[in-house]
Amino acid sequence: MTGPTPLLAFGWTSLPMLGWLAVAAAPVVIHLLSRRRYRRRDWAAMQFLAAALRESRRRLRIENLLLLLVRTLIIVLVVLAVADPYVESSGLLFAPGGVRTHRVLVLDGSYSMGYIGGQRSRFDEAKELAARIVRASPQGDGFSLVVMGRPPRVLVDVAALAPAEFLRELEAARRTDGTADLAATLAKVDSVLRGTRRERPGLEQQEIYFLTDLCRVGWMGPRGDAVVGEARRRAKDLARRARIVVVDLGRPGADNSAVTRLATADSYVTLAGGAEIEVTLHNFGPRVRKGQTVELLVDARRVARRTVDLSSGKSRVVRFAYRFDVPGEHVVEARLAVDRLAVDNRRWLVLPVRRALDVLCVDGRPGGNFSGATAYLNVALAPGDGESSMASVCPRVVPESALVEVDLSRYACVFLCDVAQVTATEARVLGEYVRGGGGLVVFLGRRVMAERYNRELVEREPLLPGFLQGVVENTQPGLDPLGYAHPIVEPFRGREQAGLVTTPVERYVKVVLPVDSKARVALATRGGDPLIVEQSVGRGRVVLVTTSADTSWTAMPLWPSYVPIVQEIVAWAVAGGIVQHNVLVGEPLAGSLPASAAGEATHVVLPDGHEEVVAVGGPRGRAWRFDATGPSGIYTIRLGGAAADESRFAVNVDTVESNLEKLTEEQLCAEVWPGVSFDYRTTWEASGRRASATIGRRGGLARWLLWVALGLLVAETFLGRRFGHYETAEENYGATDAHR
Amino acid sequence: MGVENYQKYLDPKVLARLEGFRLGARRSVEGYVSGVHHSSDRGLSIEFAEHREYAPGDDLRYLDWKVFGRTDKYYLKQFEEETNLVCYVLLDVSRSMQYRSPAAPESKLDYARRLAATLAYLVLRQQDSVSLITFDEAVATRLAPSGNPSHLKQLLQVMDEASPARKTATAAVFHELAERFKRRGVVVVVSDLLDDAEAMLGGLAHFRHRRHEVILLHVLDPAEVEFPFDETTLFLGLEREASVLVDPRALRKAYLQQFESFVHRVQQGCREHQMDYVAMRTDRPLDVALSSFLGRR
Repeated sequence: MTGPTPLLAFGWTSLPMLGWLAVAAAPVVIHLLSRRRYRRRDWAAMQFLAAALRESRRRLRIENLLLLLVRTLIIVLVVLAVADPYVESSGLLFAPGGVRTHRVLVLDGSYSMGYIGGQRSRFDEAKELAARIVRASPQGDGFSLVVMGRPPRVLVDVAALAPAEFLRELEAARRTDGTADLAATLAKVDSVLRGTRRERPGLEQQEIYFLTDLCRVGWMGPRGDAVVGEARRRAKDLARRARIVVVDLGRPGADNSAVTRLATADSYVTLAGGAEIEVTLHNFGPRVRKGQTVELLVDARRVARRTVDLSSGKSRVVRFAYRFDVPGEHVVEARLAVDRLAVDNRRWLVLPVRRALDVLCVDGRPGGNFSGATAYLNVALAPGDGESSMASVCPRVVPESALVEVDLSRYACVFLCDVAQVTATEARVLGEYVRGGGGLVVFLGRRVMAERYNRELVEREPLLPGFLQGVVENTQPGLDPLGYAHPIVEPFRGREQAGLVTTPVERYVKVVLPVDSKARVALATRGGDPLIVEQSVGRGRVVLVTTSADTSWTAMPLWPSYVPIVQEIVAWAVAGGIVQHNVLVGEPLAGSLPASAAGEATHVVLPDGHEEVVAVGGPRGRAWRFDATGPSGIYTIRLGGAAADESRFAVNVDTVESNLEKLTEEQLCAEVWPGVSFDYRTTWEASGRRASATIGRRGGLARWLLWVALGLLVAETFLGRRFGHYETAEENYGATDAHR
Repeated sequence: MGVENYQKYLDPKVLARLEGFRLGARRSVEGYVSGVHHSSDRGLSIEFAEHREYAPGDDLRYLDWKVFGRTDKYYLKQFEEETNLVCYVLLDVSRSMQYRSPAAPESKLDYARRLAATLAYLVLRQQDSVSLITFDEAVATRLAPSGNPSHLKQLLQVMDEASPARKTATAAVFHELAERFKRRGVVVVVSDLLDDAEAMLGGLAHFRHRRHEVILLHVLDPAEVEFPFDETTLFLGLEREASVLVDPRALRKAYLQQFESFVHRVQQGCREHQMDYVAMRTDRPLDVALSSFLGRR
């Protein structure tokens, strides 16, 4: 809605109701019909009747007209009231019947609003516009403030009646680096409206202002479905109770490039192995961007720089090789040249670098000379004898009885090989370990007691993906890689000479996965039974291999595919620990305190340097969690007091919103809010004068009309009696004796 | 026929209630025979009237010796002669008398007939003479006065045969009758008086000028008094006036004002000419009103 705003505007909320004005003809029709329907009487005293009529003719005519007019007017006023007329005036003019208004200002707080169109970001533009709306509103109106996000935030809940107080909250509002959740935002707005209606019933009228760039992803969801049902239903409900105004601050054709992915090629990094770092760039804009500089920083130090061209709508992967000097947590950052939306031009990766990957192998059947359960596994884990560039993994073998004595937190992964049974304590320890981010790989064998595993590792501690049924003789040679879909077997695609699919397996334990299981089968027998199956548990991962790690049930250790498959299994199992340190905006940070730090205060330092206390809880008081990951960047968790241990986490933007494609008004009407009544604007007039002309007191006239109609109804009764139209014969009999 | 008319117009219960009542003349009247009413003629009579000087040849039986004792002069007593009453009953048989509303048990004419019949009966019972004249816009029938009890039968028959067919024109009728009545008496008008008040009063005054006593029995239908109608009505005049379509509720007040103004004028006119006015509603018992009136005379 653009163009000059009238100082006074008149409208109808329910214009079709005016059709009922035809009913106003009813009194006239009834009057005319009544004159056609009459009784006939013989009458003797005509002289009196005629004299009365002569004397009263003019008076009767006036009375009839007056009554007709009043009756018609009553109907007209009621119909007009039902049509709900209103007057919108500038704040400078009196709008009769004006009511106080509750204005809910919804600022789009998604990170696309960080786009700098002119001198300032769209979010700052939205804040300024909100301030103008507040200043231009008539005295007595109330204001609430909601920031659209994921999740949305209510900054002013029950309407603030003091504009100054509201403006302070508005000034302090910050956008997030996350996306928007339209349905959740509408739910918050609904809650705000209801709360204010209870607390401030004097605010009879409601208006909702959406100040947004109408970014398609934010309004329709990442997959373009807008969580359509929920958002649409809520919008329709709101539109019935409030006037909705959408102010579109976005502009089509905006340029934007972003770092959409930063990861290592391998799931773990060791000093010996080094890292191949992959940076994925994407150009969301309509134009080719040539000579874009991308930098790689490690621990805030620039270590590499490249210049690339980015085609419109295309991604490009830039690879950097880097060798770390020291083990520990390292922060890797990829930085693209700044454009108008800077927040997605940086991406972080917290990378734990190990001297070597420490792996614990629990041997359920120790023995020398490759007779033990872990003998072949040990070699496969560290095939380079610890000295070559392949010796990134340092396996340590312990007997089954030592499991509870070992501090599992030192190990990136634990292998159980043909362990006969797991006690409740061991199961609990393993459960905590895996949920804390550790990797668990279970190889079965002839010693495994299935019912014990089922009780402790399926029922009590749901680590294994399914119940162990029994040992099965494999009658069908060969294995099924299931299309090489799983990352564990994917490297074998096109490499049949590795022999994965020809690996002989004589026996295995049949595992039946539940129907709703989220576990994934990486490799199966030809008969369809899982051979390698994995699932995520907490922040860690569990891989179950249903055959033995040695040659007792399978020739796999002797096959060329054994070493790579073991390496892939390890890489997959330990990846959970890395993922937990890298989340998206809005996702929680969580972990567990070491036993030495239990009970100590835990703090988080946000990317802007602000420090907050972290809640610690859980059954043993060691689980910590932090949810307010709004800003992107590096978060540092300080565990414990004086002997503080720090752990860093990278919070990155979800680059779905880097696509700045916006909705048009037509698309908003047709795809997001069909059937929802709202006003769409692209500008807000300021023109040097107060914007009061565009903010009106919306006066409902219905009540006034009904009061007047009621008054006329009383008047009609009075007039009817006054004119004698409502006298009855009984009333008249009382006066007759005076005639004598 | 005669017995039927007696039963139709004379209710024994009514007559029984009026047993002790008489229609008397307030002022002196001229009668045919000696009756109970005062006569303006002086002569042999019971009641002393005045003295006159003795003239030779007068009857010495009426010499007032007391006056002679006092004055030494000879005076004769003179007495008022008591004679019988002549009652002229004027019965309105115009078309307007046909009206009967749902609230009334009988039409005005039927009520008037019963009223006239009852009066005639009373008069004849007290051995006075009664004459019946029916009229509408002119004199319809006229029965000469008679004190014979069998005269009642004739009266009832004339009443019964009267057929309302014409309009009302009381003034002309009254004037005519005032000239035609030879003997002074009591003129009882039984009518709804739906005529011009001034003209009618003029006619009635003519009776008074001729030294008749006038009693006006105003026959009224309750609907004419109260105008109780609610629905839009087309009123059709019984005497062929123009019809009127009105909402009675809107006109009631004005109608009642006109009606009351008329009655008030008639009453005033009656007072001015020393005539008696009695309103007789057809929904009220005839004997009640009549006994009340006769008791006051």
